[in-house]
Amino acid sequence: MNYLYDNTFEGFLCCIYAHYYDEKADGVFPVSTYQEDMLISRCIIDTDEKKAGIVYEAIENKISKYDIKRVYTVFCSSIPGKETMLLRYISLGFHEGSKVGLLYGNPVVFNVLQIEKKVVSEIHRMCGLIRFSEMTRADAQNSRSILYAPMEPDHDITEFLAPHFCDRYKEDPFIIHDKRRNKALFAAAGEWYITDFSAGDVLMETDPETQYRKLWKEYFETVAIKERTNPKCQRRFMPARYWRNLTECC
Amino acid sequence: MDGVIFEKLKILSDSAKYDVSCATSGVDRTNVGRIGNACAAGICHSWTADGRCVSLLKVLFTNKCVYDCKYCVNRRSADVSRASFEPQELAALTMEFYRRNYIEGLFLSSAVEVSPDETAERIYRCLNMLREEYQFAGYIHAKIIPGVSPEIIHRIGMVADRLSVNIELPSQESLSRLAPQKKSGGIFRPMRQIEQTLAEQKTLKGAGNMGHFAHLGANIAAGDGSLTEMTSSQNPIAVKETGRKYAERFAPGGQSTQMIIGASPENDRQIIKTSESLYTTFKLKRVYFSAYIAISEAPELPARFTPPQLKREHRLYQADWLLRFYGFRADEILDERHPFLDTDLDPKIGWALRNIELFPIEVNKASLEELLRIPGVGTVSAMRIIRQRRISAVKYDDLKKMGVVLKRARFFFTCMGRYYGGKEPDPVYIKGIMLDAEGIRDNLTDKKSWQQISIFDNHLVENKAANNELSI
Ligand code: SF4
Repeated sequence: MNYLYDNTFEGFLCCIYAHYYDEKADGVFPVSTYQEDMLISRCIIDTDEKKAGIVYEAIENKISKYDIKRVYTVFCSSIPGKETMLLRYISLGFHEGSKVGLLYGNPVVFNVLQIEKKVVSEIHRMCGLIRFSEMTRADAQNSRSILYAPMEPDHDITEFLAPHFCDRYKEDPFIIHDKRRNKALFAAAGEWYITDFSAGDVLMETDPETQYRKLWKEYFETVAIKERTNPKCQRRFMPARYWRNLTECC
Repeated sequence: MDGVIFEKLKILSDSAKYDVSCATSGVDRTNVGRIGNACAAGICHSWTADGRCVSLLKVLFTNKCVYDCKYCVNRRSADVSRASFEPQELAALTMEFYRRNYIEGLFLSSAVEVSPDETAERIYRCLNMLREEYQFAGYIHAKIIPGVSPEIIHRIGMVADRLSVNIELPSQESLSRLAPQKKSGGIFRPMRQIEQTLAEQKTLKGAGNMGHFAHLGANIAAGDGSLTEMTSSQNPIAVKETGRKYAERFAPGGQSTQMIIGASPENDRQIIKTSESLYTTFKLKRVYFSAYIAISEAPELPARFTPPQLKREHRLYQADWLLRFYGFRADEILDERHPFLDTDLDPKIGWALRNIELFPIEVNKASLEELLRIPGVGTVSAMRIIRQRRISAVKYDDLKKMGVVLKRARFFFTCMGRYYGGKEPDPVYIKGIMLDAEGIRDNLTDKKSWQQISIFDNHLVENKAANNELSI
């Protein structure tokens, strides 16, 4: 039996619930991209907050607090098949308890840890790689300026960036826009929320912004030491696919 | 904003990048495998406690220098454009860059304009304004000019995260030859002052007091980026740094220093010994190496346009890593008979091959300290082996998943009694394989420059490296 869910984390947890209280699952898949399989029957699982809550707490208590974070982090990746891998990891976790994350030798654990590592490293990377611009609304004069950063991450990491940047900007309001997923993080004074968003283009650079961009580019070009350039190394740390949204590269 | 600031930024960042004496190495390319990530290219880097890479706005406060250090572009006698920031200008610029997430902070060094105290006072005003008026919470690394009075050092320390006093050259003799106005006392006195202030406020945590400098394995947990912290950095959502909060404390990020490599004739052994004594004497966080870029012409210096010894610098960093994280002593890394690191070989492998009788080591029995001696086993994988062993014996197939680099390590361990490196550990055979592997890598990268460097190395040896280690 393959279980299908509605793309939400809660929906995914409900599939785990069904796996234990109903029929065993062979795999878990998002309903939106599911490819019919002639050999395995499928069932769409309804999302139910209560059931999701039960599974959430079970993972937290029977495996560890840390593992519920890990499950969520891996869930936010864009790796196909992540749900089924997580299913295996969680069932192994119910067996092994909190030490499940140490069983590197087990392929189920290894795969999950590898994905976790990818997501975490993208989060770290994005903390340094997104660039904010001071923007105002193009349609309203004298509106307050706001810091705006577009990005196109591989994984769905927007909310993981919130704590870091809330701490950095304190009072200053800011927007982090995931252009690939059409969603954005809005934050001010430590409070934040995530919402659908695709209207980055109603924003316009302020005058000082244009100046500072120039200054930054100037600086960036000046500091490259020609005797030491190492484009290969540069690319390893700053993969070309991220360049589009960097002030110093466009 | 006017054009003046453009001009200043250009001049003062340009000088900062060349002025090896006043800045950390351009690209910290070493050991990035384990903890490295997002580095904006080409900008000065340093590591926060959680191993995240920081890009800093690296500038000089002024380059109007009254000193005349031979190796420096900004020496008084050089013909370059000159500029100085006003405290307010640099504070505003730093803040605006920080807000846009271009930088994590400021790396500020300076030439000596008028006098060390005069310049330091202006630097203090700039940094203090940044903290107080702009409420800047980012990272500040301030370089202390040798000879600044203790009172100003203290004030700068209260607003900066990290301080550094550059030792510049690996021996006293080279220092007085190449930087006649800088006295070693003027360098060590502030180092001592910083160390003592840190000790008084009980924040003295550097590689230098990680314990195993005296005895292998003692208290490995202290210091930033150490074993425990590195392993716990698996914690995925821990993006937050610890050492970064500006909290009215004296240089919470400790102190570091920098040495120029290849401008003077010291051998690697002297350099490593000097670093070791800097770690033990002043409890430094880091000693940075910077390959000398031959930009000025002087009879005491390598000829102009001699390529910088990047590969040597890289090996020195690896050796430094062995000192700080792997419990090696300088005398183990290089002895009288081997005064230079083999540029073709990782120093850890070099050591293992010279001490082949200690191998193979059984991964299921070895202590943490022994595991760390195996080439290809890093601090994280060693901890993983120890942890997994408590649950069940470690199998060969597990090692790779734990991050062990088998193509190096397999010659040096046994796993459940079995040896995977051929018949027995044979140094000549292993060395051949390692060189082949490195050879392949060098072909892919920049072979020509390595060759030029090795020629230069010979020239140094012929020069009969003066045997004067820095006594501190
Ligand atoms: S003090 Fe020496 S190294 Fe520093 S800027 Fe002046 S000449 Fe250069």
